[in-house]
Amino acid sequence: MFTYEGEDIFVIDGHIHMWDASDENIKTEGGQQFIDCFYDYHTGFTPEDRQWTFEEYQQYGADRLTDDFFGNGVVDMGIFQPTHLQEFYHDGFNTFDDLGAMVDRYPERFIVNGRFDPRDGEAGLEELERQKEERDILGAKVYTAEWKGDSKGWRLDSDDSFEFLQKCADLGIKNIHAHKGPTIRPLNKDAFDVGDVDLAASSFPELNFIVEHVGLPRLDDFCWIAAQEPNVYGGLAVAAPMAVNRPRKFGEIMGELLYWLGEDRLLFGSDYALWNPDWLVETFLEAELTDEQQAEYGVDFGLETKKKILGENAAELYDIDIEQKKRDLEVDAISEEYDLAPMYSDTTGGAVADD
Amino acid sequence: MSGSEPTGQPGSSGSVTEQSVRTALDSVLDPELDRSIVELEYIEEITIERAPSGSETNVRMAFLLPTAWCSPAFAWMMATDAKSAIESISGVDSAEIVLRDHMHETEINTGVNEGRPFGEAFPDADGGLEAVRATLDHKARLARQYDAVEALLDAGLSPAQIVALTPADLDRDTDDDRIHIYLGDRSFGVSVDADPIEEYLEMATAEGCLTGETDPLFRMPDGDPIDESMFELLRRRTRSAKVNVNSQGTVCDALNESRREMIEGTGSR
Repeated sequence: MFTYEGEDIFVIDGHIHMWDASDENIKTEGGQQFIDCFYDYHTGFTPEDRQWTFEEYQQYGADRLTDDFFGNGVVDMGIFQPTHLQEFYHDGFNTFDDLGAMVDRYPERFIVNGRFDPRDGEAGLEELERQKEERDILGAKVYTAEWKGDSKGWRLDSDDSFEFLQKCADLGIKNIHAHKGPTIRPLNKDAFDVGDVDLAASSFPELNFIVEHVGLPRLDDFCWIAAQEPNVYGGLAVAAPMAVNRPRKFGEIMGELLYWLGEDRLLFGSDYALWNPDWLVETFLEAELTDEQQAEYGVDFGLETKKKILGENAAELYDIDIEQKKRDLEVDAISEEYDLAPMYSDTTGGAVADD
Repeated sequence: MSGSEPTGQPGSSGSVTEQSVRTALDSVLDPELDRSIVELEYIEEITIERAPSGSETNVRMAFLLPTAWCSPAFAWMMATDAKSAIESISGVDSAEIVLRDHMHETEINTGVNEGRPFGEAFPDADGGLEAVRATLDHKARLARQYDAVEALLDAGLSPAQIVALTPADLDRDTDDDRIHIYLGDRSFGVSVDADPIEEYLEMATAEGCLTGETDPLFRMPDGDPIDESMFELLRRRTRSAKVNVNSQGTVCDALNESRREMIEGTGSR
């Protein structure tokens, strides 16, 4: 747990992966291009002295992950979002079952979300039931632009999707994380158009829709929809690292998000290993709006707002009682391994910013 | 561009230079970022080839996008726009476009250079690109409207005056790149930098939301005239369109830089 300006900051990293893009696992050229592109995102928005080598980046494994998250005590918990990509990688890229093994190992520290694809039909509904039964998942990641057979993607507001969303509602899988990132496929459409979130969110008020990457490059459409649908949230993966060397742009994005959505519907995410929370959390905490942005947007981006975004909002969505959780974390295997117990036992005893 | 000499006239190719090609390409936009491909530094190589007889001039332009994954639809638009821009230069007979290191470079290069429609180059696409281009033009118009309206607010116009403006109110002064606007009985006038207004006019015309010289200049997202009561909300919506396009530009700039470092071998991959 991080201590910043004398306050404990409970950090739940809302968007993390443990992927395998090793040479042995890459199945197609697409798999190579995919990890190459990720690596460009990594180097483009990571301070030079914190950049990984490409080899490190391809496959880092469980020990590296726990070192990065808990080695300096900055992160308290992480939420895994699966990305299967079986077409590109022999054993998948970042799968529900592999991630589940990390939860088995450190049950207090990690949450794994399920995933579904409405085009899987009956088998997909059964798989969703299995995920719920095995790991009592509260959330699911969906990737609307994934190709499957002849299909070039699907929409959240389609009949098939509604059947799965109803299943999620019935099973208590209440947090739907929709990846809405850069346009790739299908070829002649905007596969990550955020328009489909609108009807899905108004049709399923009991579900929460977390739009990952805040819809960039559709931030404007996303904000407009979210302003009208109270169960739409923004995940800050990709946006947060702009605080590093594009602080002004980051300030504008935060200004827009806080203006349209407010401070209760934004979730921090490192997108690990795209970026590493071991520096990103502190960068986020130190980020400020300029005076001009402050005047333009009239929003508060102070420490209380940052605490909500860094952990409290995710705790709300994932039924985590932070005070109780601190007591559980104090005695878990990670606290023992990294000697973190003291920072949970007394208040404001967390890791201190090294500035 | 002179544009006055007939295309392909023997001997006229001597005037085609790398600089004249770049100038022609200034008008080719990355449709998602609403910025020129020249400014974005996508262009890698321009080769001007003249046939030994001096009768044919072919220009070859190679470009690289920020990722191998950039939307094939956007890549196609940039490639076809670049081809037409270069071929419109006086003295150029034909242009060949080479998109490098893209997941669909073969389909795009073959299709664009053979002049085939998008749907034919990509049989598994569900149709043409018109809708994508219209959507992007629409967003660019909103972002440009924000800049134009901000310039007018800064110059001292009120929201009521701004929503009532028509293209006919704009008085362009070619001497100093400014636009003068006189209101009422011409007793009150302001002068603003012409660029944001002209850039807005260009995209609003492309989107087709300007209906006439004496119809309202600025529009709601759906193209309707603006009621003054909606002014502030609209200003905020157009602001978010501007922030969006800027943010995406930032992402692409960073990716572009990383990718070039890798390809040039100065990176660590």
